[in-house]
Amino acid sequence: MSQRIRNALYKLEGSHLALKIGLSLLVLLFLTFSVHAQGITIKGKITDSKTGEPIFGAAVIVKGTSNGTSTDIDGFYSLSNISDQDILRFSYLGFEPQDIQVGNFSELNVSLVSSTSDLNEFVVVGYGVQEKRNLTGSIVSVGSNEISQTNFQDPISVLQGRAAGVQVTSNSGAPGGAMTITIRGNSSLNAGNSPLYVVDGVPIETNVTSSLNGTENFGLNPLADINPTDIESIEVLKDAASTAIYGSRAANGVVMITTKRGKSGKPQVDLNIHSGISTVSRRLGVLNASQYRSAVLDSYANANSSEAIIPAVLDSLSAVNNGDFDWQSEMFRVARQNNVDFSIRGGSDNVRYAWSSSFFDQDGIILNSNYKRITSRLNVDFDVSDRLTIGQSVSYTNAINNRSNAAGSGNLSIVRELLIRPPTFAMFLPDGSLNGYQLGRRNPVGLAELSTNLNKSNRVIASQYAEFRIAEGLKFRSSINVDFVSMKEDTFIPSTLDFREGYNTGSVRSSNNMTWANENILTYQKQFGTSHNFGALAGFSYQDWKYERAGLDGLFFASDNIRTLNGAGTIANQDVNIATEHSMLSYFGRVSYDFERKYLFEANIRADGSSRFGRDNRFGFFPSASVGWRFSDEGVFDNLNFLEDGKFRFSAGKTGNEAIGNYTSQGEFMVGTNYLDFSGASPTVMPNAGLTWETTTQYNAGLDLSFWENKLMINVDAYLKNTNDLLYNVPIPRETGFDFITQNIGSIQNKGIELMVTTRNMDTRDFSWSTNFNISTNRNMVKSLPENVLTNGFIQNGAFHILQEGYPIGTFFGWRFDGVYASDEDNVNGITNGAQGPVYRGGDPIWHDLNGDGFIDQNDRQIIGNATPDFFGGINNDFTYKNFSLSLFFQFSYGNDIYSEINHQRNSIVRYNNLSTDALNRWRQQGDITDYPKPVRDDPLQSMSRIQSRWVEDGSYIKLKNVHFRYSLPNKILERWKISKLDAYVTATNLITWTNYTGYDPDVNSFSGLRVGVDQGSYPQSRTIILGLNIGL
Amino acid sequence: MKNRIKIFLGVLLLASYSCSEDLLQRDPVSSFSAQGFYQTSSDAQAGVFGIYDAVQATFSTNFSYWGEGRADAVNTNQAGDPFLLQQNTLNTILASARWNNIYETISRANYAIKYVPTVFDGDSEFGRQLVAQARALRALSYFYAVRVWGDVPLIIEPYESIQQNIFPERTAKELVLMQIEADLIYASENCRASFGGQRDRILITRGAADAMLTHLYMWKKDYVNAIASADKVLANSLYSLVSINDWSRIFTQGYTNESIFEIGYNEVQRNSLRVLYALGSDSNFFPSQSFRDSFEEGDLRRNLIYDVTETQPRKIWKFFGEGFSDESPEPSDKNIVMFRLADIILLKAEAHHQLGQTAEALTLLNTIRVRAGLPNLDEATAINLYGDVESAILHERLIELSFEGHRWFDLVRTGKAIEVMNPINGLSDEANLVWPIHEDAINRNPSLVQNPFYQ
Repeated sequence: MSQRIRNALYKLEGSHLALKIGLSLLVLLFLTFSVHAQGITIKGKITDSKTGEPIFGAAVIVKGTSNGTSTDIDGFYSLSNISDQDILRFSYLGFEPQDIQVGNFSELNVSLVSSTSDLNEFVVVGYGVQEKRNLTGSIVSVGSNEISQTNFQDPISVLQGRAAGVQVTSNSGAPGGAMTITIRGNSSLNAGNSPLYVVDGVPIETNVTSSLNGTENFGLNPLADINPTDIESIEVLKDAASTAIYGSRAANGVVMITTKRGKSGKPQVDLNIHSGISTVSRRLGVLNASQYRSAVLDSYANANSSEAIIPAVLDSLSAVNNGDFDWQSEMFRVARQNNVDFSIRGGSDNVRYAWSSSFFDQDGIILNSNYKRITSRLNVDFDVSDRLTIGQSVSYTNAINNRSNAAGSGNLSIVRELLIRPPTFAMFLPDGSLNGYQLGRRNPVGLAELSTNLNKSNRVIASQYAEFRIAEGLKFRSSINVDFVSMKEDTFIPSTLDFREGYNTGSVRSSNNMTWANENILTYQKQFGTSHNFGALAGFSYQDWKYERAGLDGLFFASDNIRTLNGAGTIANQDVNIATEHSMLSYFGRVSYDFERKYLFEANIRADGSSRFGRDNRFGFFPSASVGWRFSDEGVFDNLNFLEDGKFRFSAGKTGNEAIGNYTSQGEFMVGTNYLDFSGASPTVMPNAGLTWETTTQYNAGLDLSFWENKLMINVDAYLKNTNDLLYNVPIPRETGFDFITQNIGSIQNKGIELMVTTRNMDTRDFSWSTNFNISTNRNMVKSLPENVLTNGFIQNGAFHILQEGYPIGTFFGWRFDGVYASDEDNVNGITNGAQGPVYRGGDPIWHDLNGDGFIDQNDRQIIGNATPDFFGGINNDFTYKNFSLSLFFQFSYGNDIYSEINHQRNSIVRYNNLSTDALNRWRQQGDITDYPKPVRDDPLQSMSRIQSRWVEDGSYIKLKNVHFRYSLPNKILERWKISKLDAYVTATNLITWTNYTGYDPDVNSFSGLRVGVDQGSYPQSRTIILGLNIGL
Repeated sequence: MKNRIKIFLGVLLLASYSCSEDLLQRDPVSSFSAQGFYQTSSDAQAGVFGIYDAVQATFSTNFSYWGEGRADAVNTNQAGDPFLLQQNTLNTILASARWNNIYETISRANYAIKYVPTVFDGDSEFGRQLVAQARALRALSYFYAVRVWGDVPLIIEPYESIQQNIFPERTAKELVLMQIEADLIYASENCRASFGGQRDRILITRGAADAMLTHLYMWKKDYVNAIASADKVLANSLYSLVSINDWSRIFTQGYTNESIFEIGYNEVQRNSLRVLYALGSDSNFFPSQSFRDSFEEGDLRRNLIYDVTETQPRKIWKFFGEGFSDESPEPSDKNIVMFRLADIILLKAEAHHQLGQTAEALTLLNTIRVRAGLPNLDEATAINLYGDVESAILHERLIELSFEGHRWFDLVRTGKAIEVMNPINGLSDEANLVWPIHEDAINRNPSLVQNPFYQ
């Protein structure tokens, strides 16, 4: 039996209590039960039926209880406190489990038969576990083995390319940087598209974001607080049957993270050490000083400015303009990282524990960026009596993130500055001090080294439970779950980076994000006769969220060296102390039934009430049902010997989305709209008492097939997801004084197909080769939007996208760039820039005059690309030869476009920006045939700044995402050395990328949410190679 | 065992019962629900200060785009609004064609006007003072709206529900002007005469309301009432002309005795003055050739108004001080002077002239001229120099109030806009004197009809 089963048995069936009354009464009840120990002790040895070798770590448990142990290195076990009526289950990963009644035996030697199937594994589902072969919903699972092959320091990255239907993109390549995860497509406009994350049964807070510069591509990864080494499995719940038990938070799927727990037996000590280096995966071409000066001259000449201007940057004799830098060379570095993981897991007859601790220290590839993380976890399960088990999971994470401001569009963004800062700007001024600010550009080296951008967080995720087995098959579980994040942030920009003497700014923010939940669950499991299996679950939960933040901004600090706010000459911004609250009360239930595991049925319902909605619309009901048919067990298939297992699944159900502002329905009067020192308050949100849930109805059909003794396994899912009553900030006339009002409008559809293929290509004594392949396609479409929110038939969605009926989210909208006029005469139709503007001339872009009216304006905009891929997925090949193993993991995405806003920035000279080397092909004189328009100072015709097809690039790619090579010391040596494991490994990440994309990396997504597929100049991805050692005692 | 199950179910029910629905009522902690805000007199005060906050945003850049951008005192090298305004090629995506901030101001004022009285028991002088400020700021907003766009939606009730008509139509500008007049008369009667100290300059006082009324009547060509309102301002002891030595301080320091209403800014609540004027050729605007050539010999203000030391870049010094040379394109913390005594004196001079009282007009005009080191002007010299007395007064406004955001409205008000601007940018159509409504506003509100010239 795998570790996963143990987990499943020990910790799940998540029911929960917390209300003090309930708990104390419960304790009283427990006291009334005495402990009945039976006292038989049984021992024996477990071996592999094929080789006769002892199996180390095989599980022995008393069926239906959590009483169990595992075998030692020689395959021996010993289990006490059992009765002769008990049935023992012997299991080990990769072997068929065996059940044997104790009877009169005092010694039980078992030889397990190797199973090439993983169909008997358990997977974690909402408030419980389920045998994988009996699933009727759509769930994908990633186990600790796959996790250990990667070097990722957060659980989300692990899922990239490994889970069908789960699309993961990077918002930032910075250590601890944010990722975007989309399960089965975007289904919401304004109400958030993130899944619900549940860690060991705790629904955790993922809106943990920096309150200073915490937006967009400068975001943090809230799950980086969870050390992947601690994780036993990650399950992604995709269809309504699987997710509806989480009701109103489940429309975007649910990610269940389960950490490793202890099992009875000798302590197992693991030490994992690795060190590595990272480099930027790619460098981009920029102009050198002389090329740059020539471009600036051109831009002035092309501008026909009414006043003669001599740009200062042309003066190569000036002490501040004599540089010749590729700022990338000054900013990127070879960055090191180190990691130590240590864990002890084990247990006695009635206590099982898993303690782990880790230290991770990673430098970013941009100068002076660094991420340090300490994690510690203790999972304990204690059998108080044969009826009562109590336990806890507590994890603590301390992270210190010395961040690079790589975000945004301002001149504080390092990535932008290092690409567009003129190469001529000197690093130092004549007096030897840093040239921090020149002509509106800040020195990126100064930004990295002299400014402060520190984020320190402490997080505790804790869950305590009591599980009481009331009667055969009936148990009650209550738990209290807490997720607490405390964050402290400091920023400081010294006066050396500002043009004003002594003008420096600093900010401090301190925030607490606390959610707690109490969950109480009654479960019943019963087999009637030999054929009828019945299960039921009922529960309720209450969850409460509180967020508070305090902070100050200061300026005119006496010194750049005193960066705490007591040094500030002026304190500003007193509106940063805020607090918000939110609560949810839920009731839920499930029934399941199967007949001989051939006909499977399950139904779930949840009722959620949320404080975010108006009193009349507070409760929502989210039902689901699913059926399964194991047709391979029907007689007609008996002759098909190659068919091992075949199952058809179907599910349907409703889930919801309540992710809107805490007080949106009530309207809001905001304080802090001050006039000088006079405190002001103003209406900022218009009320809408009629707001209610967004509802997603999903249908899923699936087929699980297994052939030739499980050498080939195929899972196919097809789904249809309709989301209605979309919560949307509908723009309203500004004459009302408000920008928008949140309403329930319109609908979105997602449909797709997911395919997973697992093969065991070779399996000999010395050599094995297996392959996992998955591919997914999702078609997203906005089905309806109400007339009154449309402008010219669509909704503008940020600068780059529109939302339009019949088109997917992520549709880029702008002008089509058809090349460059070689000469004035080429503009034969005399197309003008706007109705009254100038005629386009040689060197100007040729815009597609969509409506043929002879001028280019808003009405000539059209769809110029789409950020959603046609398909995406990954393929992993595992090879083992004797003690060597190799895994090669490729990840791919095909058919997605990227809007490269950073390419716009680095090809738009404006005044003094440096350009990409593409500018060497620019139009210079009449007759030049090129596709690079002439640079014009200030870009008066918006040749560069228009949203245009020129900046839309094919973002398809295949990546050799992960290579893992491992050597394990042979057993003979291990036995001699009295250790259980000694592995050495090399892991390489982002080794090779095949793409046509011209930016740093096609795995980019600067904005979270709906504005997908934009590269605004995110912190670049790095190529990482690590060496590691894994020791088990 | 049955009993045990019953007990457990009982516990479950008990626990769930104690989770009543009150758990789901969460009021905002750090803000107020939309209708729950106005409870006390300090709430009322805060609500009114919130209006000023919106006024800060409204005029940060637009006092200049609206008041100077289309007129003859400035020129520009900048693409975007400055260029398009100067070239008279206004389009529907101009930043200055947006009225968002104006209507946000109006919305806040409407909330205050409706709810401030509710926090006071019966009639309260303090309450009336607050409502008067709110009505004056609403009038200021509408006065700009009418002058920039012509007919605009007239909204005098707060929006509190989606059930209200959120797609208002445009109201005839005459009706809007009537509302402005009513608001300003209320303000003139109910505003505080003085708050004391610097607050007299940055909050709406009775004097500020009278100054706005003067402007309103001048716009309506109601010269008798303009003179009456101006007289109240002139008689107000809060205001006096500063000497020429302190003239720069009106703008660089703010809070002078000449100031009637200026919008306050500070290190964190900043405006665009520097970007507008301080960056020489890179500014949004620099002094036009014709403006530079129009100074009379000996005018002491010339060195105070723009950089005379270099041919270019010609920075505008008026708001930053003589010799100012910092070209950083960052926001400014200087106050923006909206109305000051010299402005009202010259308006009054104009009104007298319009009523045929030329002697009074010249006396007032000469007050300002003499301060600038210029000789007294008699009617003959005025005609000799400027063609007529009205032109002499308008020229004096051009110099004295240069770049303060009055020039364009002066040209439109006196019917000279086409005459002055036609040679510069070809302005020729009366219907072109208003701005287009921004296409975003048209798109959001199907009831709006674009100004005919821009259709």
